Amino acid sequence: MIPCRAMVFVGALLVARAVSAATESSPQLVAATAAHSVVKIYGAGGLRGLEAYQSGIILSPDGRIATAMSTVLDSEGIDCVLDDGRRFEATLLGVDPRRELAVLTIDAADLPAAVPAEERAAAGTRVLAVSNMFGVAVGDERASVQRGVIASVVPLEARRGAADAPYTGTVYVLDFTTNNPGSPGGAIVDSRGRLLGMIGKELRSSAGGIWLNYALPVDELLAGSEAIVAGRSVAVAAADTTPFDLGLLGIVLVPDLLDRTPPFVEAVVPGSTGARAGLAADDLLIAVGGRAVGSRAAAERAVGAIPAGDPLRLSVIRKGKVVDCELGPRPTVAEGRAPQGAAP
Amino acid sequence: MNWPLGMLSLVMASMVVAVGGAANAGEPTLAEEAAFRAAVAQVAGAVVRIEPVAGAAVTGAAGEEAGVASGPSTGLVVDPAGLVVATTFAVPETAREAVVVLPDGRRVAAKPLGRDVPRGIVLLKTDPIPAAPAIEPVPRDLLAPGQWTIAVGRGWSAAEPSVSVGILSAVDRGWGLAVQTDAAVSPMNYGGPLIDIAGRVIGVVAPLPAEPAKMMRGTELYDAGIGFAVSLEDLLAVLPRLAAGESLASGILGISYRSRDAINGAPVIASVRQGSPAARAGLRPGDRIVAVDGRLVRRIADARHAVAPRHAGDVIDVEVDRGRGDEATRVTARPALAAALPPWRRAILGVVVAADDEDEDEPARIEWVMPGGAADRAGVAAGCHVASLVPLDGASVDGDVVETPSNAALAGALAGLEPGGKVRLGLRRGDDVTATDVVLEEMIREVPDEVPPPSAGGGVGGGVDAVRVARLGGADVAVPPLAVIPAGRSPVPVLIWFGSPHGAVDEAEATAWKGAAAAAGVAVILPGSRDRREWSGDDIGGVARAIESLHALRPLDASRVAVAGRGPGGVFAWLVADRLGTACRGVAVFDAPLPRRFEIDDAEPGTAKWMLLGGGRDDDAARRLVADRDRLARAGHAVGTLADLGDGGPPAALLCRWAAVLGLL
Repeated sequence: MIPCRAMVFVGALLVARAVSAATESSPQLVAATAAHSVVKIYGAGGLRGLEAYQSGIILSPDGRIATAMSTVLDSEGIDCVLDDGRRFEATLLGVDPRRELAVLTIDAADLPAAVPAEERAAAGTRVLAVSNMFGVAVGDERASVQRGVIASVVPLEARRGAADAPYTGTVYVLDFTTNNPGSPGGAIVDSRGRLLGMIGKELRSSAGGIWLNYALPVDELLAGSEAIVAGRSVAVAAADTTPFDLGLLGIVLVPDLLDRTPPFVEAVVPGSTGARAGLAADDLLIAVGGRAVGSRAAAERAVGAIPAGDPLRLSVIRKGKVVDCELGPRPTVAEGRAPQGAAP
Repeated sequence: MNWPLGMLSLVMASMVVAVGGAANAGEPTLAEEAAFRAAVAQVAGAVVRIEPVAGAAVTGAAGEEAGVASGPSTGLVVDPAGLVVATTFAVPETAREAVVVLPDGRRVAAKPLGRDVPRGIVLLKTDPIPAAPAIEPVPRDLLAPGQWTIAVGRGWSAAEPSVSVGILSAVDRGWGLAVQTDAAVSPMNYGGPLIDIAGRVIGVVAPLPAEPAKMMRGTELYDAGIGFAVSLEDLLAVLPRLAAGESLASGILGISYRSRDAINGAPVIASVRQGSPAARAGLRPGDRIVAVDGRLVRRIADARHAVAPRHAGDVIDVEVDRGRGDEATRVTARPALAAALPPWRRAILGVVVAADDEDEDEPARIEWVMPGGAADRAGVAAGCHVASLVPLDGASVDGDVVETPSNAALAGALAGLEPGGKVRLGLRRGDDVTATDVVLEEMIREVPDEVPPPSAGGGVGGGVDAVRVARLGGADVAVPPLAVIPAGRSPVPVLIWFGSPHGAVDEAEATAWKGAAAAAGVAVILPGSRDRREWSGDDIGGVARAIESLHALRPLDASRVAVAGRGPGGVFAWLVADRLGTACRGVAVFDAPLPRRFEIDDAEPGTAKWMLLGGGRDDDAARRLVADRDRLARAGHAVGTLADLGDGGPPAALLCRWAAVLGLL
C-alpha cells in the first residue's frame, strides 16, 4: 500500500506529464492523452435494444469515475476497462438525477485522471471526443476518437421520448455525431487535451426535433460529482409546466381546437390587466418573456412557467409589427381569480 | 464572444509561431481555430434567428411530415435595408408573416416578398437592420472541393451564432442548384450562411433542392455528413426580382430526349410539347442540342445542368444542329422558360411497331394495326415501314417533316401532337411509298380483345407445348425466379407477376401461366420472396437481375415491360415500377392501393404508363380505389380496369394480352 501523500504526488506527476505533453502536442498526442482518462463501462442491458455498455471519465487518481446515469448501471457487477486494458469491478457511489450523472469507484491507484479546463469554451472551439461508441473498442482496445468543434453553448431543451430531459442547464452542442450508443460518459477535450465536458445520453431537441450531439460542461460535471461524493442528496427540481389561463388576465385566446392552435387573441376584457397592457383582439402571441411560443398550449405553459410575482411580458404581432406588452407581475392563480375590470 | 483575453493572445502568439514556420504540429490546429472564429465574427451580425409563426396553416405533426419547421431556424441579412433570406422550410408558402430575432435580441416582424422555388429560398422584408455588416459572396468558379466551410446559424441560440466546421464536398449538386458540405447542418441552421475561412459567403444552407429530394427528404440528411447550400451569387442575381415580390419557379423547356439514358445519352430531341416554350421558339423533334447559353452540350446531363438553375421567364439560348450529317444546319432558338406546361394528352395512331435496336435509325415497321383504331380506319396495313410523318395541322410548317423515323423518332413526333390532329404518313412497302392521312385518337384505357399475335413478332408461335419454363439467376440468387418463355417472338414483351409472398415459386404456378403466355406471345417472370411472409426491399434488386437474366435467354422488347400483382404483391409492384422508372411501361394491380406518400410523376412522353386497377372488396377499399384512379388519371396516365377473376389464380390471359399491346403508338 502506497502512502496517501505519495499517491497524490504520483498523481500530480502524471497530470503534469499529461499537460506538458499536450501543450506542445499534435492532435495525435492530445488524443492519446485524453484516451488515457476514458474507461469503457459494461453493465446491465441488452433488453429492448438498450446497450449494455457506455463510457466513463477518470476524475481522480484513486479511482473515481464519472459516467452517465443509465440502465447500464442497474447491475450487480459493473465492469470498468481502463485504457491500459486492466479490468476492475466498480461500485456505484451515487447519482445526480438532475444532471443524469453517476459516480463510480474502483479499487485502484495512480490512475491518469482527466485535467479539467478552467473556463467554459466558446462556440467554434476545436475539440476531440473520446468514447466507447458502439462498443467497437473490444478487449483492451483504446476508446474511439472523433474530431469537431463546439457548435453552440446553450441551455438544454430536449426530450427523451415524450418526457422532458431533467437537466435544463447549459450544454455544449457539438457539430459532429458524438452521442451514439455507448458514447454517454465519454470525454470532450480541447486542443490541449483538457477536459471540457462529458458526452450525454441520446436526446432529441424539443426546439428543432433533431437528435442532439451534446456534452455536459466540466464545471457541472465536477459540481455534480462533488455533491455525490459528499453524499448530498440531489433532487430533481420539477419544472412548473402547469398552464396558466390567460383569461385570468382578461385575455381571451381563440378556442384550442387544433393540434397546435395559433395563439390569436380573440377578445380582451375592457379594463383588465391585458387591456391596460395594450393587448387587442386579433393580436398573434409569438413570445412569452422573450421565449418563442408556437401554439396556444405552449403559450399557456410558458406563462405558467414564469414564477408568480415575476414580470410578465407578452410579444404579439399586430398589423405586421412586433409589439411588446408589459403585464406587470404575474399573479398567482388565486390572485388572478379576483375580479378583472368590468364584466362583459 | 466571451473568449478570455489571455487565451486570445495565446492563440495569436501561437498563430505567429505557426506562420513563422516552427516545426510544431499542434499549433496549426489553434491557428485554424482562430481563423474559424474570425470568419464567423465577420458574418455574425448578418445572421438572424427565424421563429416559426403559429399562424402558418401547416403546423404540428403534419407540418413536420411536410418538411416544415416546428422550431427555430436561421436567416441571413443580405441588405441592411431589411432584406433577409430564409428557407421555405422555416417560412412555408402558407406563412403570411415570420418573426426575425436580430443579433441584439430584438424581435421584429417580417413579411415574405418573393420566393426562389427551385432553391427553396424566401426573401423576407423587415425594418432596416443598420447594424448588419455587408456580406461578400464567393464567386462560384473560385470554389474547390476540400476547402474549409463553416455553417453559421442562430437556431440554437439567438444570442450567439452556432458554428459547425467542415469542408466543401462538391461544387455542383442538384443539377447545379447547390454546393455540398460535410459541415453539420440541420433545420436549426437552414437559412444561415455557409462561409469560407476568410468569412466570405459561399451560399445559404438549405435542404437539398429540386429533384433528388424526391427520393429522400432533404431534412433527413442532417446527421449524415451531407449538407447543402444554394449559391449566394445565384441568389444575389435574382434579388431585385425577389424583392419585387416575384415568385421564381423552375424553368421548363418542354422537350424530351430520344435516349433512355438521361445522363450519357445524346441530347437529341424526341418530342416537343405543344404550346411549350420549346415549340414556340421553333425547336423540333430530331434537333440535336449543341450548346445552351454558350455552354457546350455533349450529353443530356450537360443540357440539364445548363437549364436546371434557370427560372421560369428566363430566356435561354439553345443552339441545335438540325438535319443529318453534312447537311445539318446550326439553328439558335431563344425559348422563354415556362413555370408549367399544358397537360399532355397522349395521342395514338393505333399501331404497334416492331421492336428495334435503340441505336439504329431504322424506319419503324408496323407490326400490328389495332382493329377499329385510327390507323385501321385510314386503311393502314401491318408490315409496312413508316418512312415519314408530317403533321397537317395549321401550326405545322414545311420543316416539320420527320424523315425515316426510327421507333423513338416516331414516338417523339407523336408526343408533340394532340388527339384529333391529322398527320400524313409516308408508308413504304418494298419500293413503293404511299401517303396516308390519319386523324390521331386518344390513348385507349381498356385492354382490347384483339392484341398483336405472337406471329406478328416474326416467330412461329408454337402453342402451349413450346412454352419453356426456366429458373433465372445464378448460384448467388437466394430465391431464383421462374420465367415462362413462349416460343417464337423475339424481342419478347415481358410481364412480371407478384402474387402472395410465399418464398420460392414452384413449377405448378408457372404452368398456370403457360396458356396465356403462348396465346399472347409474352414472357412472364414469377419472382419469389426471400421472406416467406412478405415482399421486402431485398427482393427489388432480384427483379432487376431477373430481367437481365431473361434478356440473356431471349431479347426483351423494352417498350413492352410491365409489372403486376395482387394484394401485398400489388403494393410491391408499385414499388418495383417506381424503381424501374421509365423501363416499366405498365402497372396492373388488384386489391393494392397506392402506397402512402408515393410520388406520382405527371405523365410525360417517355414516362407515361398504362395502368390497370381493380379490387375494392369493401367500402373503404373501394373508396381508395376510386381515389387512386382519379389521382393517376389526373397525372395524365391511361387507367383501365383489372377485372376480378375471383380467387382462381391471376388474370393471366388479360394481363398477357395487355403486355402484348403496351407499346401502342
